[in-house]
Amino acid sequence: MLNHPKFADDIMTLFAQRKALPVHIPVIQPADPFLDMAGEDLRRRIFLTESETGESLCLRPEFTIPVCLRHIETASGTPQRYAYLGQVFRQRRDGENEFYQAGIEDLGDADIAKADAHAIRDASDTLTALLPGIELHTTLGDQTVFEAVVAALGLPDGWQSRLIHAFGDPALLDSLLQSLSQASGKVPGIDDRVAALLDSGDEAGLTELIDRQMVATGYMTNASRTPAEIAHRLVQKARLSNARLDAKALDVLKTFLALNTPMRDAADALAAFSRIAGLDLDAALNIFNARVQALEKAGFDLSSSRYRAAFGRPLDYYTGLVFEMSAQGAVLAGGGRFDRLLTLLGAKAAIPSVGFSLWLDRIAAAGAVKSERPSQ
Amino acid sequence: MSVTIALPSKGRMKDDAMAIFARAGLEIVNIGNERSYRGVITGMDGAEVAFLSAGEIARELGNGNIDLGVTGEDLVREDLSAADERVTFCARLGFGQADVVVAVPDVWLDVDTMADLGDVAADFRARHGRRLRIATKYWRLTQQFFSAQHGIQVYRIVESLGATEGAPASGQADIIVDITSTGSTLQANHLKILSDGIILQSEACLVRSRSDVRSASDEMLLDDIVQHIRTISA
Repeated sequence: MLNHPKFADDIMTLFAQRKALPVHIPVIQPADPFLDMAGEDLRRRIFLTESETGESLCLRPEFTIPVCLRHIETASGTPQRYAYLGQVFRQRRDGENEFYQAGIEDLGDADIAKADAHAIRDASDTLTALLPGIELHTTLGDQTVFEAVVAALGLPDGWQSRLIHAFGDPALLDSLLQSLSQASGKVPGIDDRVAALLDSGDEAGLTELIDRQMVATGYMTNASRTPAEIAHRLVQKARLSNARLDAKALDVLKTFLALNTPMRDAADALAAFSRIAGLDLDAALNIFNARVQALEKAGFDLSSSRYRAAFGRPLDYYTGLVFEMSAQGAVLAGGGRFDRLLTLLGAKAAIPSVGFSLWLDRIAAAGAVKSERPSQ
Repeated sequence: MSVTIALPSKGRMKDDAMAIFARAGLEIVNIGNERSYRGVITGMDGAEVAFLSAGEIARELGNGNIDLGVTGEDLVREDLSAADERVTFCARLGFGQADVVVAVPDVWLDVDTMADLGDVAADFRARHGRRLRIATKYWRLTQQFFSAQHGIQVYRIVESLGATEGAPASGQADIIVDITSTGSTLQANHLKILSDGIILQSEACLVRSRSDVRSASDEMLLDDIVQHIRTISA
């Protein structure tokens, strides 16, 4: 292949040693799965086209989704590790629009801690093999711990899901915390009849009223949100309208989100946090600590990595671990756990999954910078 | 050297734009007959007038093919990426007012704000097996407002080029992003605007294309015209 990074073969050899099956993923992909999973915002950043029959197609913007789709279509058994290498295409106002990526997707390994540790170690080993002597910095985050904090605080369901949804988007999370700290007051925009039903907690009555209103105004009751769904959320919202996040809970959340510690100290820091905050986080911390142990067992050097509690990705298919590896200020690898993705894409059963992706052009650039330096 | 000024080619927009120019003392005369699509400004050598559709004016301002134009802010912000880097809004002209808004069915009693909508979008797929669908012709404005401003990532846009307000009732979409001046069409279709759902308060504007190749004399001519309009629109 033209313009292939020189070290492509080395990577695939290394991936094969790690028992990952190489897969071929076509460059032209149906666009819907990407837009469905990552959202409409992606539309501006991918190269879209249309087939003669009007099907929306795009140039492969990443590998994880097509690798998972292929896994589902071929009905391959699990566990299975897949390796890929090739170009991805993304629109950017400045800079290149096509880059090489390579990575491993590890589907169906039920030993979460071990699979997480192997993803991190394999990414790190590959980078170290390609860039001997380079100083790598790894940042880890874990959505499971945040979810546990939110649950242990005993916050109402509606708030828990809002907070978890905003995790990984600092601006959104900030404004959410601020708005939850103020009571929202009376539910706006409802008439006396609805207010009376709400006051008496009559969810069935509300459902009936909404159903009648839909029929009267010509809305189909089964095409979109159902009367029962609207009534249920309205009751939930009314219940929360006078509640507000108390100062202590806000303080606990802010303290947690500010945690940023060397990986070696992360377990102690989290234990101390849970003790001082008076929260039972044992289940999540056991998972966290098991991952740390698995990392040490896998031979990963913890000394250059940090745990940052607020680090996450704000898309609903990510769960658990996220990580990033950088050198000289450039992110060279990113990865994480996406236990929800395969079921979202149509898999019948839940398939725990973790993976990582390497930015080959950035790795080549980092290598070039390094080799230009005079050796001593 | 010369500059091109584009005005809407038909309807209320055209009449209102012509009236503003006339009141500013800039008399526009058609070349040839009354219905030709070219004109000049009396007493201003080097200023050509082109009559184009409002949508074309927005696009051509972005391309730099015209220097100054009268068109709706919504069209400029929808058609051009990074609009503020490519054009300058010189004056708001006080006509063609309309808001680009997020509207949901009246019967969604629990949804009053974008935050409510964010909650609904977040678990829409789990409940309905698909993402929340928004009918609109404003792709860019919708994406900016939902994704960048309100952190709502998971939804799908259904393109709608007409009668957008009918999409929720007919089941083609769940909610809409559309333009409205009085809100009566939305009301008639049992839709309500979210309390923080105004994406843009649009009106006709005098818009200048940013160019770094224009001659100094052309820039001065444009300054002069802008100044005339500003005096009366302020």
